[in-house]
Amino acid sequence: MSIGALFFASPLALLAFLALPAILWLIRATPPAPVQQTFAPLRFLLGLKSENSQRLRAPWWLLLLRAVLASLLILGFANPSWRPKAVAASNKGPVLIVLDDGWTAAPEWAGSRAAALAAVEEGERKQSGPFFLLPTAPQRAQTGPLDAFSAAEIKARINGWRPSPWRADRAAAAKRASNLRGRFADVIWVSDGLDSAGAAALGEALTQKGPLRVHAPGFTARAITDLRSTAEGLEIDVRRAVSGNPVAAVAAETLQGRALGAAEIRFAPSATAATAKIELPPAIAARAARVRLVGEASAGAVRLAPNGAGRPVVGLVNGGDTAQPFLSDLFYVERAIQPFASVQRGDVESLLNQGVQALILVDDSALPQAEQTRLLAWLEKGGLAIRFAGPRLANSDQALAPSPLRRGARALGGALTWEQPQEIAPFAPESPFADLTVSADVKVRRQVLADPAGLAQAQIWARLKDGTPIVTAAARGRGLLVLFHVTAGPVWSDLALSGLFVDMLRETLSFAGSASSATEPGAELGPWTPALLFDGFGALSPPPRRVQVPEDIFNAQKPGPALPPGLYERTGSPQRAVSVASEAELLAPLARPAGAVWIGKARQGTVSLAGLLLALAGLLGAGDLLLALALAGRLTPRRGARLAAAAALALVCWVQGVGPALAQIDVSPPPGWNINVPLAPPEIASIGDVRLAFIRTGDGRLDRATRAGLEALSATLTERTSVAPGPVVMLDPARDDLSLFPLLFWTAPAQPTPLSPQAGANLERYMQLGGLLFIDTRGLAAGSGGEASPAAILLQGVNVPPLEIANPREHVLGKTFYLLRAFTGRRGSASLWAESASAAAARDGVSSLIIGDGDWANTWADEELTPIGGVDRRELAMRFGVNLVMMALTGNYKSDQVHLKELLARLGTDPGKTR
Amino acid sequence: MSKAADAMAARAQAQALVEGLQGVLLDARRLAGAHPGAHGRRLAGPGEAFWQYRDHRPEDGARAVDWRRSARAERLFVREREWEAAQTAWLWLDPSAGMQQSETEERPSKRRRALTLLLAMALLAQRSGERIGALGLTPPLRGPHAAEQLGLALQQSPENLLAPPGRASLLVLASDFYAPIEHWERQLRRLSANTRGGVLLMLADPAEEDFPYEGRVLFREPGTRNENLVGRAEDVRAQFQQRLAAHRAALHALATRCGFALVRNRTDHPAAAALGAVIAGLEQAH
Repeated sequence: MSIGALFFASPLALLAFLALPAILWLIRATPPAPVQQTFAPLRFLLGLKSENSQRLRAPWWLLLLRAVLASLLILGFANPSWRPKAVAASNKGPVLIVLDDGWTAAPEWAGSRAAALAAVEEGERKQSGPFFLLPTAPQRAQTGPLDAFSAAEIKARINGWRPSPWRADRAAAAKRASNLRGRFADVIWVSDGLDSAGAAALGEALTQKGPLRVHAPGFTARAITDLRSTAEGLEIDVRRAVSGNPVAAVAAETLQGRALGAAEIRFAPSATAATAKIELPPAIAARAARVRLVGEASAGAVRLAPNGAGRPVVGLVNGGDTAQPFLSDLFYVERAIQPFASVQRGDVESLLNQGVQALILVDDSALPQAEQTRLLAWLEKGGLAIRFAGPRLANSDQALAPSPLRRGARALGGALTWEQPQEIAPFAPESPFADLTVSADVKVRRQVLADPAGLAQAQIWARLKDGTPIVTAAARGRGLLVLFHVTAGPVWSDLALSGLFVDMLRETLSFAGSASSATEPGAELGPWTPALLFDGFGALSPPPRRVQVPEDIFNAQKPGPALPPGLYERTGSPQRAVSVASEAELLAPLARPAGAVWIGKARQGTVSLAGLLLALAGLLGAGDLLLALALAGRLTPRRGARLAAAAALALVCWVQGVGPALAQIDVSPPPGWNINVPLAPPEIASIGDVRLAFIRTGDGRLDRATRAGLEALSATLTERTSVAPGPVVMLDPARDDLSLFPLLFWTAPAQPTPLSPQAGANLERYMQLGGLLFIDTRGLAAGSGGEASPAAILLQGVNVPPLEIANPREHVLGKTFYLLRAFTGRRGSASLWAESASAAAARDGVSSLIIGDGDWANTWADEELTPIGGVDRRELAMRFGVNLVMMALTGNYKSDQVHLKELLARLGTDPGKTR
Repeated sequence: MSKAADAMAARAQAQALVEGLQGVLLDARRLAGAHPGAHGRRLAGPGEAFWQYRDHRPEDGARAVDWRRSARAERLFVREREWEAAQTAWLWLDPSAGMQQSETEERPSKRRRALTLLLAMALLAQRSGERIGALGLTPPLRGPHAAEQLGLALQQSPENLLAPPGRASLLVLASDFYAPIEHWERQLRRLSANTRGGVLLMLADPAEEDFPYEGRVLFREPGTRNENLVGRAEDVRAQFQQRLAAHRAALHALATRCGFALVRNRTDHPAAAALGAVIAGLEQAH
């Protein structure tokens, strides 16, 4: 039943209003309770009656209060809700649906689609038609008139529509809208809730076409606008409109989607920009190929880090001898530049083909004549080459140097010289190293000398204390050639052992970018071709057809139909990314066009009033109670103050509890997005912790037992190892993001049921990304993966890798922390099947699936398990658990232990053989 | 329950009693200290305190001469001491629930006030070497710990009054005397046959006399289930006070008839006056 915008879910409760007069009469007839008084000389009172003891009745204001209270209760139980009617156009006619389908609409795409479909259905009810669909970010730039569709056709189109990986071009859409002929009975703009250039024009154009309603999602899209690599890890700028969700998590991933690290962001209430820092060691940070906003499925929430996030790609030219890698000069260079550069090794030819931005040649680097010419040509075009001296350079090969060199090396210090080892002089102000401070402990014992006669050709970047140049540089065409007059290793100087070396190389490599950007926009490089392209949801996939993007469009870096964002490549250049969100991405809430009506999700929904009414009734009831107390004389000032304090506290609690509920906005994820679900805040909070997780079976007792077991295991891990896991987490594979947990524990329920397809896909992805899924069949049936076994039922529909029996002496699981002779479970030695090493080759032989029958969780939790025959099964099971977690965390780190015996035998020191 | 457990429970109860008693004893000591020497035989006789010098009489003998006083005169003197004959006084405290009523921070309950007064009596008696006992509970006590013992015993006073063992004893009965006059008549008549009389210490709570209640009040008798709902308490005030006064008048007449003095004490009035009145009443009684 509904009265205006008020709707009653249980209207029969309203019949209670009929009984209201009777209730009021009863209340009126019942006077307030008398004051009670103990009185010793009662005897003298007996028989005394005051004449008007019946006169007292409830005062009128108390009656009114109780009448209101009763009415509120009746109304509350009738379960009313307020449903403001959308201003529906009464006339029928053509309907125009404007759909924002840029990436900014992707996070709430399901909501947008539902709103569009709802608009179609409403039109259908009114028998409106035909329908027109105007996307604002079409896959191909379109200018023609819109096609008219029937309701069924347009529904199919909307259902199949997918957002584009660029922002809506609303100016173009406005132009198309104003070109439409005639007026529309209904104009619905399913917007992304964000402002953009042309939004006002589009709003104006649409209002002219008919009564406009605008839909906006509850939370608007956010974007990663920049990604920087620092010494500590990665810095990520995230931007949002004030209407965007203020809590976010960013994760750094490899291109295959393996998580490397994550961090949490909380925007200040009115802030629109925030920076997250993911702390990663440089070597790991170099592997980060992209960062994404966890739980936000849009192209703008992903940012690619080609070449390791702005790190120059540096080629190290291989030397001849690699037998002693720790003594090789290349080792020192590589270690020095790893924090800020992506390193590739190879010969000059292949490195230049890969499009490196700088080349580093050490003394050992072989440089055949052909390659030397190629190198010089590359230098001319803007390359950067850094050379290190050494015996070979000193004695023979002097062609590639900034200035002519004297033959032979100058030795400082030692038995046959009078000179002492020299320190490096403070850098001259015009040197690129000017900002660096020289450390006094760097001594140069040997160097090659530049010929003073030819020194004018070169810039001197650093000198020794006696004035001889130690770093010289010279331009070669557009390029730059830098020579360190010492070795890259510690043979000639201490430079390679000092932090100064790292800083000097960093400064030098800062020329790499400029040198490479100075590359001739040559036709010989050819156009850019995409290697991977974004879709609107931020997923990367190979381009459906071969596209070529000319250089000038590519350099404009403005993503759109002509330049779909993604990862691009061309011969002779390193890969480059076209980002979806620019560094100055404009994210601001959409202003309501004049004359338009919001039908945003939060504004459209019905507001249930039952809770509010009942809460008010409760408050009034409390007030009534106080009044009754006061009337009965029980309300002394002290007690009154105490009661008032309690009431205030209750009120605060109510406002805190109900207030947000009243303003609640539905943020549930669109169906079908099982991977990128928003993280609940507690998960975000502990994103840096290792946490043991298990899969919810739905059997409450079993889940509690598993939780208890994992908690016991966590305690043991904290006690005995350096792993200190956070609280145990229960996960639902159908909904939760599994990628944060290294180990998933799954205890088979007594009646196993197959997973939903979503959950199966999620688990499969989890295993592919390197997670370890451990299934404990508890010995319910033979866990051989045979047809009837519980594990087989559980994993139905999941792509299960081939399994083999794991022998404790051969499998790495027996070695990772404790050396185990058997995998002990509740009933003694348990059998274990693990993914075979050959199947797991893609993950370095680390199993992603292990199935066992030891009933471990129960064993870990069971502190009263008594040893049988002197075997403490709980302790042994606990050791197995520790090994399991260690394996999940360290992978194949201990797998060489498996082969220890063999290795020792090969070295001839087998302890088993006495010689 | 075993005997040992009984003893334990009793001991715990006693502990609680003693703890409750400490304040009372303190009050009583203060009261006794503030009330010096109103008690005495006012006769020469065997005792500690000096009474008077009188001329030596031949029948006194040489040993009775107070030589120090006699040396300062030309006559012989005899030092006489005040007669401090030990008497026995019996105390009784009404155990009814009504005595507990309306204890607040500023004024004690009737029971506590009664206990204070009775113990003060006990302390005074102890000082003058008289014997004092709880009626029906203890033998006559004397000595330094008599007051504590009495304090414990008095709180278990029986409902009905028993005749004391000795004939020449005094009685102090503390109650609010709200029970019907017939009840008291019966009790007092039985006692007066056996004793030399004494004091009725009538305690009253100010609320019971002033009747400050207003509006709709449900009055309940403590210790019973009797109750009376009064629609407008202010209307019955005058009638109630009238009835109470009549009861008290009857009680006063009864007390006089039986040889008892009636001492009234309101719990919001000072206790010292009542103590003086009780002692004066006792002096009169013998």
